[in-house]
Amino acid sequence: MQQSWLLIVASFCFGLLIAVTNAALSPRIRQNEINKRNSMVTVLLPGANDFILMEEQIEIQSLQGKMEKVEIYKAMSAADECVGWSFEAVGSGFADKIKLVIALDKNFEKIAGFDVLSSNETPGFGDQIKYDYYRDQFKGAPAGELKLVTIGERSKIDSEIVAISGATISSEAVVEIVSNSIMKVKEQMRKKGIIGNDKQ
Amino acid sequence: MDTLSILLMGFISIVVVNNLVFTKFLGICPYLGVSGRIDMAFGMGLAVTFVVTLSGTLTWLIDHLLLIGTPLEVTRYVCFILVIAGAVQLVEMYLRKFFPSLYESFGIFLPLITTNCAILGLCLFINLWGIDSLLEAVVLSFGAGIGFTMAICIMAGIRENLDLADVPDCLKGAPITLITAGLLAMAFMGFAGMIR
Amino acid sequence: MTNSNVKTSRYWQTLLAGLWRENPVFRLLLGMCPTLAVTAAVKPALTMGCCVIFVLICSNIIVSLMRNLLKPHLRILMFTLTIATFVTIADLFLKAFVPRMSETLGPYVPLIIVNCIIIGRAEACASKNPLLISVVDALGMGVGFTVTLCVLAAIRELLSTGKIFEIQLMPDAFVPWAAMSMPVGAFITLGLMLGLVNIVAGRKA
Repeated sequence: MQQSWLLIVASFCFGLLIAVTNAALSPRIRQNEINKRNSMVTVLLPGANDFILMEEQIEIQSLQGKMEKVEIYKAMSAADECVGWSFEAVGSGFADKIKLVIALDKNFEKIAGFDVLSSNETPGFGDQIKYDYYRDQFKGAPAGELKLVTIGERSKIDSEIVAISGATISSEAVVEIVSNSIMKVKEQMRKKGIIGNDKQ
Repeated sequence: MDTLSILLMGFISIVVVNNLVFTKFLGICPYLGVSGRIDMAFGMGLAVTFVVTLSGTLTWLIDHLLLIGTPLEVTRYVCFILVIAGAVQLVEMYLRKFFPSLYESFGIFLPLITTNCAILGLCLFINLWGIDSLLEAVVLSFGAGIGFTMAICIMAGIRENLDLADVPDCLKGAPITLITAGLLAMAFMGFAGMIR
Repeated sequence: MTNSNVKTSRYWQTLLAGLWRENPVFRLLLGMCPTLAVTAAVKPALTMGCCVIFVLICSNIIVSLMRNLLKPHLRILMFTLTIATFVTIADLFLKAFVPRMSETLGPYVPLIIVNCIIIGRAEACASKNPLLISVVDALGMGVGFTVTLCVLAAIRELLSTGKIFEIQLMPDAFVPWAAMSMPVGAFITLGLMLGLVNIVAGRKA
């Protein structure tokens, strides 16, 4: 067909255009992704200067029963000491998936806190999982099984998390995601000897 | 069986909880245009289900065999839309040759489906949700089509009754359909949180 | 002199058509999907509008330049290819310069490819008209679409959070209508706005 040459030329030109734009912008895009995670974790782990991706692959079973890979980052201070750990965890919330970034202290004993990377919860209700009064309950909580309660003392830091009134499912989702991922990751890391009773 | 329950949950979730029309705003244009009568609506729904299952599967295959992890990943949108356009053409030719009566009843819907945001939207969502298994992709695509069909048939039923009601002039047609869709969306919100 | 006057007024007419008389969302009923999806707040609406303007102008330019070479059965394919390319480029720019907004908009940016407005204008205008008119038409339609999106988004954001662009506008006593930021609010706001436009347009005619 005589007209197919137009298609071929056009495809070639367009392909070139896309490739050039991609080459020009992709380092910036990758940097954006790294910056986003780092800026959140730096708030939770003050003193963290750099993040190193752990080479060992960790796979945990998600809440839905699927095996998923987790990328664990070691947070190092300016003096090159480990100040903590961070990784991402995903789970289903009320409306859609909730993606969290969770930070722990260097011994993997206490939770340094979490932040919401993306969620689609009901504004004004489930959306309050992003608010400080809910998130602060996790800071300093033991890195193990957490329980959701509907009545309790928010300022008491322990393994009980007080739900957001009117948004039980979203609160429960976050508690489950944090609990499940921390417990499973901890188990895997202990197995691989990365953390232990007397590791730095 | 774990796989079966995951598939079943996925299917129910996309038909009811994450219905494409009411929660993701996909497929609105044909939704408004074709939901006048139940038989037309059903025909459109079936056509969409057919195409979306095919496209969802094909784009998943192309995504996982060719695109993910390679430099070609940036051409994803171009590839997807070409695959969808191609799939619609194929379906059209196949139907015209082997099932002419079915082709007649689909009528003009088939070519219109290419620009239906629901198809491309679903393929992109499957990519966004990181669906790993082909079977899950097929089930979700099929579910999306069923969800769309259900949504459009409900709307058609309501609109047939609306024709007899006393709608103010300025609201006739698209506006009242949208308002009805809004109320339906609110009703479907009741399903949220059902699947975890 | 009369000739250039006529031409200028034709350009103006085309530009303004996109804003009111042939407003893509309210009059032509095109491009509803992104309209409902991104109008929860004004910022995403504005971003989406700018993307659509960019893609519309670029695709109209290319299609207009190619208009004499296109044969019937390849037309739609060429349009689709062109639009897909520019949407990919726009998406890359968004991811690079405004990553948060890119995440909020999510899959609705690539859905610009199947946005009926763009294919519609390529078909109706750019494939038949010289370059300058095509660009003006693209600009008019794009700006009309953006303004529409922003108006809808302003209403929804104001009623669901009391703020626009993070500036508190409603009095403290106002209880936010959370439903406005959900699909319900989207459908109903668009429906009522359409009804309003019908009244105003009906009165003018």
